[in-house]
Amino acid sequence: MRQSRRIESLGSAGLVRTQGIGADEIDLRSDSWVVWGSITAFFLLSLLPWRLMPVAPDLLMLVVVFWAVHEPRRVGMFTAFVLGLLIDVHDAGPLGQYALTYVLACYGAVVLQRRLLRFNLWRQALHMVPVFVLAKVVSVVLSALVSGTWPGQAWLIGLALVCVLWVPIGWLLLLPGNRLASMSASTE
Amino acid sequence: MATKVDLELFRRSVPAQVKLVLLALLACLLLVVDAHTRYLEPLRQGLSVILYPFQRVVMLPRDAVVVVQDYSNSAQLLKQESEALQQQRIELSQVIGNAAQLLTENRQLRRLLGVIEDKPIHPAVVVEVLYEPATDYRRRLVFNKGSRQGIEPGMPVIDEGGIVGQVIRVTPFSAEAAMLTDEQLAVPVQLLRNGLRLIAFGSAIPGKVEVRYFSSDTDIQEGDVLVTSGVGGGFPAGISVGTVESVERDAASGFARALAQPTSHPERYRHFLILKVPVDAIGTNEAPNPSNPIAGEIIAPVTTN
Repeated sequence: MRQSRRIESLGSAGLVRTQGIGADEIDLRSDSWVVWGSITAFFLLSLLPWRLMPVAPDLLMLVVVFWAVHEPRRVGMFTAFVLGLLIDVHDAGPLGQYALTYVLACYGAVVLQRRLLRFNLWRQALHMVPVFVLAKVVSVVLSALVSGTWPGQAWLIGLALVCVLWVPIGWLLLLPGNRLASMSASTE
Repeated sequence: MATKVDLELFRRSVPAQVKLVLLALLACLLLVVDAHTRYLEPLRQGLSVILYPFQRVVMLPRDAVVVVQDYSNSAQLLKQESEALQQQRIELSQVIGNAAQLLTENRQLRRLLGVIEDKPIHPAVVVEVLYEPATDYRRRLVFNKGSRQGIEPGMPVIDEGGIVGQVIRVTPFSAEAAMLTDEQLAVPVQLLRNGLRLIAFGSAIPGKVEVRYFSSDTDIQEGDVLVTSGVGGGFPAGISVGTVESVERDAASGFARALAQPTSHPERYRHFLILKVPVDAIGTNEAPNPSNPIAGEIIAPVTTN
């Protein structure tokens, strides 16, 4: 069971999850610290003033969408919506702008999830390019319509950075799970 | 006839499409309602109360750095400050002498004319910048005190240079102010030279204030000082706003507009003063309506050339 978990988290083989219903609860509990810990960490990071740069990448979106791909039972569109709403309030911007972006990006991740897990992180990042772009374009256009001003094009660079950062940040996020899995595999 | 067999092979949850439609619609609804009404303020306040501890925690390292920096630079800073204060004191002593004379003269004249004197001194709260929101659309500052300290939407924010902005939203622990250069803020002003009453708006040009809606033959020049007029009750009269830098007169439309440099420096310091003016008396001049239909319609022909 643990080995299959390892394979799945590596994302290299085409094996689907082999656990039975409810059987994975105890086995995967260690991961939930990583998932929620990383989301909390990146959420706190997003409250810092570095996001004042127009080209700043939306790392919180990256992490939420990443976990929506790799841990779809824990992180989904609802989580994305709530986090987006909190960022909207923090930025004192139009309420719902980030929430919409995150929900759309998360939906793209959910739709592509089975397919994405067959690829390595570089190819996953390539797959996510249109998802992030579409999600962002829709919400930027909508909020520009309601607020009456166009925010410029700097966010496109931010999106490109998000896609590039998918690989190193994804690798980091999967690191604890992989290490635990390999440790348990070596002791068995 | 096929019988319905429930194998319970897979966990059941709401399909992704349904979730998408529900949440995306909700987000769009929030966007539209928030842009046009103020019904969502309680939701925003609730969420920002939840956010507040997190915001304070992540700002702790920054505050620590600032404290250390202040400490290490204190000798030099104090020297600079004392020099500036010395200079100011000499300048002010001349002004004060003059002002005292004018005050008695003014009182006498007012008594002669029978004008009622009403110049209340407003209590003030010192606030510190908590953070600057990262938004593409507006120029805002969030301060570290809120309705618990008696701050209410509509109160003016000032620094040593004059008007910085106006509080537009409060939560129990924080207050959000639109800066003078925010396009949504309008301040009733007056020219110090000739007493001409005008309205100053935030400008599309960063860091500038714009005076609009006056005919092109109005007597306004470069170097004119703008102060608040006190009309509307939102801002107390006589606080410095800015200095006129350029005047564009458009003979075709008959309108003109002037650009002014604000005298306050919201980007330079972290401490500001919020004046506790009675906000119940204020009209709706601070209503944060992003669509701002009046401004959009009238200014369009003037700004295009």
